[in-house]
This record gives sequence, structure tokens and C-alpha cells, in this order.
Amino acid sequence: MTNAIHRRWTFDTPVLSLAVNRNGDWVAAAMADGSARLFDAQDAAAEPKALHLHDGISLCLRPDADVHAFLSSGDDSKTVIIDPVPGTATVIADRKNAWIDHVAGAVDGKHRAFSAGKKLTVLDDAGQEKFTTTLPSSAGGLVFSPNGKRLAVSHYNGVSLYWMNAKDATPAKLEWKGSHLDVIWTPDGKALLTSLQENALHGWQLSDNKEMRMQGYAAKVRSMAFSARGKYLVTSGAEQIICWPFSGGGPWGKPPLTLGGTDNRLVTQVAPHPKDDMIAAGYNDGMVVLAPLDGRMEIMIAPPVSAANAPVTGLVWNRDGDALYAATESGTVMLFTIESVRKAVVQS
Amino acid sequence: MAQIPVTVLTGYLGAGKTTLLNRILSEPHGKKYAVIVNEYGEEGIDGALVVGADEEVFEMNNGCICCTVRGDLIRVISGLMKRAGSFDGILVETTGLADPGPVAQTFFADEDIAAKAKIDSIVAVVDAKHLPLRLKDSKEAEEQIAFADIILLNKTDLVGADELADIERAIRKINSFAKIVRTVKCAAPLDEILGRGSFDINEILKHEPDFLKPETEHSHDHHHHEHGDHCSHDCGHDHHHHGHKHDHEHGHEHGHHHRNEIHDSEISSLSLVGDQPLDMAKFESWMSDLRANKGQDLLRYKGILNIAGQDRRVAIQGVHMMMDGGNLTPWQAGEARRSRLVFIGRHLDEQALRDGFARCAA
Repeated sequence: MTNAIHRRWTFDTPVLSLAVNRNGDWVAAAMADGSARLFDAQDAAAEPKALHLHDGISLCLRPDADVHAFLSSGDDSKTVIIDPVPGTATVIADRKNAWIDHVAGAVDGKHRAFSAGKKLTVLDDAGQEKFTTTLPSSAGGLVFSPNGKRLAVSHYNGVSLYWMNAKDATPAKLEWKGSHLDVIWTPDGKALLTSLQENALHGWQLSDNKEMRMQGYAAKVRSMAFSARGKYLVTSGAEQIICWPFSGGGPWGKPPLTLGGTDNRLVTQVAPHPKDDMIAAGYNDGMVVLAPLDGRMEIMIAPPVSAANAPVTGLVWNRDGDALYAATESGTVMLFTIESVRKAVVQS
Repeated sequence: MAQIPVTVLTGYLGAGKTTLLNRILSEPHGKKYAVIVNEYGEEGIDGALVVGADEEVFEMNNGCICCTVRGDLIRVISGLMKRAGSFDGILVETTGLADPGPVAQTFFADEDIAAKAKIDSIVAVVDAKHLPLRLKDSKEAEEQIAFADIILLNKTDLVGADELADIERAIRKINSFAKIVRTVKCAAPLDEILGRGSFDINEILKHEPDFLKPETEHSHDHHHHEHGDHCSHDCGHDHHHHGHKHDHEHGHEHGHHHRNEIHDSEISSLSLVGDQPLDMAKFESWMSDLRANKGQDLLRYKGILNIAGQDRRVAIQGVHMMMDGGNLTPWQAGEARRSRLVFIGRHLDEQALRDGFARCAA
């Protein structure tokens, strides 16, 4: 197959993560030297902007509450808003000597939250501190609900849920023993799931606390996302792309859909197409594939690399799903466009 | 990619951990360290990347009650690894009351950590003057000695020669295998502390050429080194009987041990030596049962084994239930093939261990 990669940038430092803003028109890359690169996701010919982000590294890079911007939190104690159009990074909070492990912005634009170990802070839309509270243990992840009204924070032995319009910061608790890492809401906001230290997922349906357990992963699930229209929860952490069905009554008692080969490599990143039933997945050896959810054969769009530092560390689509960005630990960012992929497929 | 060496510093408050830390960081070794401390900013540490981490111990959700790990270390080391290349090693300073078990197990139990970092040594800093008191009033002091590869017996200028000898005997009662380094103000040569590869399977005979010599030939302060470099998944499988027999073992153990004038310890060391080749299947089955039933009380163990039908020495090491093993260099022609297995544990049933080991003969 000819090269499906439209463009490739090579940096002399690993790419730690990628994020796309809520508008879907800019992609940010957090680099291991503390800098960021900003890619115009509407203009494949543009060169990325470079800017200084942290005096250390970004520990968490996310879309901001503002549809144009990004949020990054670092091991330099700072939480930063990145505005891609002027190309600036503005510090919005500094917690001396602490690592800011996680950061999140609410979809409704009203709140931002960040955590440093057990300390959770929520900011209002004016950037003022709404509350700071101490979690039972260090946060594993935090994410606002799809309507922005609730914040879910995972930690040891479960999840704490905070209402943003509540007077006090007393959380509702969802309990399950173990160390909970990333946390994700279903697109309808009716359930949420966490990835666990023990290579598994756990979930709760909020209406009745009915629980879900998904096991059998080879590694921790460090990338998960819902496919278009919320049909599947697509996850990394196995040799294949593991997709749990969420339409038609939920995942209970159903086997997952598995996509892609079983060739002794692990999926490290997943990115469902924003509109179509198509999953992009990146592997620990640098390979990137496009896998249709209808079970047709997947298309390899970036070949595996022999180097040990090859893992795909970031994978995001732009708003319309006509451009896909993949980043690797070896410091490359690849851009695939619908045209470059189509051309490669036709020629093969 | 090479795993980053991690040196774990344990020791009671005031024993001299921070002195040692500053000493390591200030010597002109040309190396850059990241330091994980419990109390950030308690004392200044120059020129190093210092990270604060509050001790957060949690149980792995695999039904095994001794599979406890340090969540804070997973979090901080994962973060440090993202900037790999910017430092040569990690120093973890634990609190005076920290249990070294979860610290050690973190490097077995978390695959991401195990892939990128490994323990170089567990170093216990011990205050010669106050150790007798510490051993009487805290179980932590005893555990820290039990887990150590290297014991820095500090402040030796504050005690007399006889007292020092008594203290060393008390340490040896708990841990016969650690290397004891006597110091004043932690002034030990750094190559006695760092880069020892105590958990490296390939280093065991290099640092410990006498490991297989009969007991009487061992020098008094011979080293104790362990090895092994990947997670053993046995922990999740072998724990079914765990805990059931534990209680039965209390109360009748002390008779096996000589009473020590400084401290009547629950923890002791045991060395088993056998000249008969061992049957691999029998040995594995015995160790598996032992770990399942006694894993919580087995603090550390290691061995070099003469397995029937194998030309290479086989090495094992473990912390609680987590065991790891592999093949070492071939036996030399004319060399006496022998197995030695050492345990450091709580309430060790010496006779049962001797019998069990004897039954592994091929």
C-alpha cells in the first residue's frame, strides 16, 4: 500500500499526548520538553505553532470549557489555558510544589476543575475558585458530564460525583474496591465507567446503581471513547480494539465487538470517527489502523515501527472527521486526510 | 529501554535519611536524580528534581490481602517516566513509619512501572544509639531492617564498641543477609549504596560470590542481594488459601530462636542449604503453597538452586507472594553444585521450612 500519511512532522522530543478543542478546528500536542505544538486542523498545509507550556511536562491535556481553547496541567504546579489563535498559554492557577495531575473543562463553558493528588479544585466561569476539597485519595481522573452539570472524579475505591450548582461540595459516591484511573460518561450522561489498575473496567448506571464489569484486558485501559451516536465504548488495552455495545439495553451479558488483528501488539490509543462507524486505533509499535465497526477488514494507515519508543501516544480527529492526527513517543506527528487514505487504498 | 534504578531509603525519623539523601545528591558523581519525598520542603535538597508524594497504600483488587502497593509511587513514577532521559536514577525517601513491603511490591505489581523502573536496593538507615529503643516500641523499625538489602548503621560514634556489637547482633537476628555498613553522619562510599543491582538476577553472584558457600565460610557482613526484573502474576492465582493458616502459627515460634538481649524479634532469617539436586516441579509446588499460605509473613526470600537435569543455576526471589525467577550462568566443571534458599519472615517455622525444602530433592 502506498503511503496513507499526508504529512509527517518529526520533533526531537517525545509527544506525550494530543487533544482536539471542542470546535474541532485545532489539535494540540504536549511534548516531553514542556512545549506544545498547535496544528490548524482545517488547513493541512499549515505549519504547527510552537509555544512554551510548562517548566516540566504536561500531565494532562484536554479540550477547554471554551470551545476554542485547551487546558493543560503540569508537574510545574500550573494549570494553563492554551488559546490557539494567538498561540498563547495563560496560567490560571498555580499550586506551589504540587503536581497538577488532572484537568477538565465543562461542555457548558461554566466550570473548570483540576486535581493535585487528593486536592480537587473547581473554578467558575470567571476563573474564581468555586471550591477546593480533599478527596478520599488521589484522583485517578476527572471529567464533567456531557451537559456540564456534574463532575465525576475517580479515586481509590470508587468515584465521587459533584453537582456544579450545589451549595456545598458534598459528593455522591459510587463504590467499587480498587484503584480507579480514567473515568468516562456515556454520551447520554446516564452511566459512567472507570478503568482500573487491574486491567479491567467498572461502570455504574446512575438511575439504579446497576454495575458493569468488563475484564480480560492485557494492560490498563488508558484510552477509551464512545463511537458515533454512543453505540460502542471503544477501548485500548488489548491486542484488538475492544468495543462494548451500549445501544439496545446496554452492555450487560453481551460480548464485546473486537476489531483488528491479534499480532502480539497492544492498542494504546483509540479515536472513534466523530460521524461514521469507523474507529482509528494506534498501537504500541507505532501502527495506526482504521477499522470499520461493521466488521470489514481494517486498513493499516501507518506501518509498525521497530524502535522501542514507537508507541502511539495520541490520536484525534478534527470536527468533520476528514483529518486524523496521530502522535508517537518517538516524536512524530502524522496527519492523515480522507484523500490521502483513499488514494492509498485505491492504489493498493 | 534500560529500566531506571530506584533506591528506596527507609529508616526511623532522625536516623539520618535526609543526611544520606543530601550526601548522595551533593557528591560529584555527575548523575542526576529525581527524589520522591514524603514531606515536601522539610529540608532543602539542592540540585535535584524533588517531588512530594503522600503515602497511599492500596490493595490490588485480586483478592490477595498482601498485594498492597503504593498508589502515590505509581502516580509519581509514571509522571517522572514521561521525562525519562532527564535523570539517571530515582531515590524514594519513605516516612519513618512506612512499611517497605508495598513499596517493593509496586515494582512487581504495576506493569507500566515494572517496564520502566526497577528497585536497585532497599537501604535502611539505622540509628545505632536509638535502635534498641526503636525495636522495642515499634514494629516498623524491625520491618525496615527485614526488608533491607543494605543497612546503614549510622551514628556509630555515639555508642561503645560492645554496644555496637550487640546492635549488629540484633540486626542479624532479623536479617542475616543484608550488607551492614557502619557510618558516622551517613558517610559511606556511594558505591556501597548505589548501583548494587540488589534485585537484578544477573548481579546476584557478582555481588555475592559466596552465596553458595557453606554457612561457616560466610564473612560476617556478607551481602544480601536479590534479583529478578518482571512482575510475577502468581499473586493473583495462588492466594486461595491465604490467611487461613496464619493464625495457627502464632505463639509457638519463639522457641526456635535464641532470645536476643536487645530485642525479642518476631522476624528472623533462615538459610536452607542442600547438596541434593532439586526437583523443579516439587520445588515450584512447595513454594507456591508456601506463598499462598504464608505469603503475608514471608517478607523477602531468594535462592540459587541446583535443579536436577539443568546445567544452569536457577535463581528465585520474592517479596510476600510475588515471586520471580530465571536462569543464571552455567555451573562450572568441578564446582560443587548446591542450592541455597534464604528467608526473612515473621514467625518462620524453621522445622517446617527445612522439611519442606528437604522434600524437594529429586
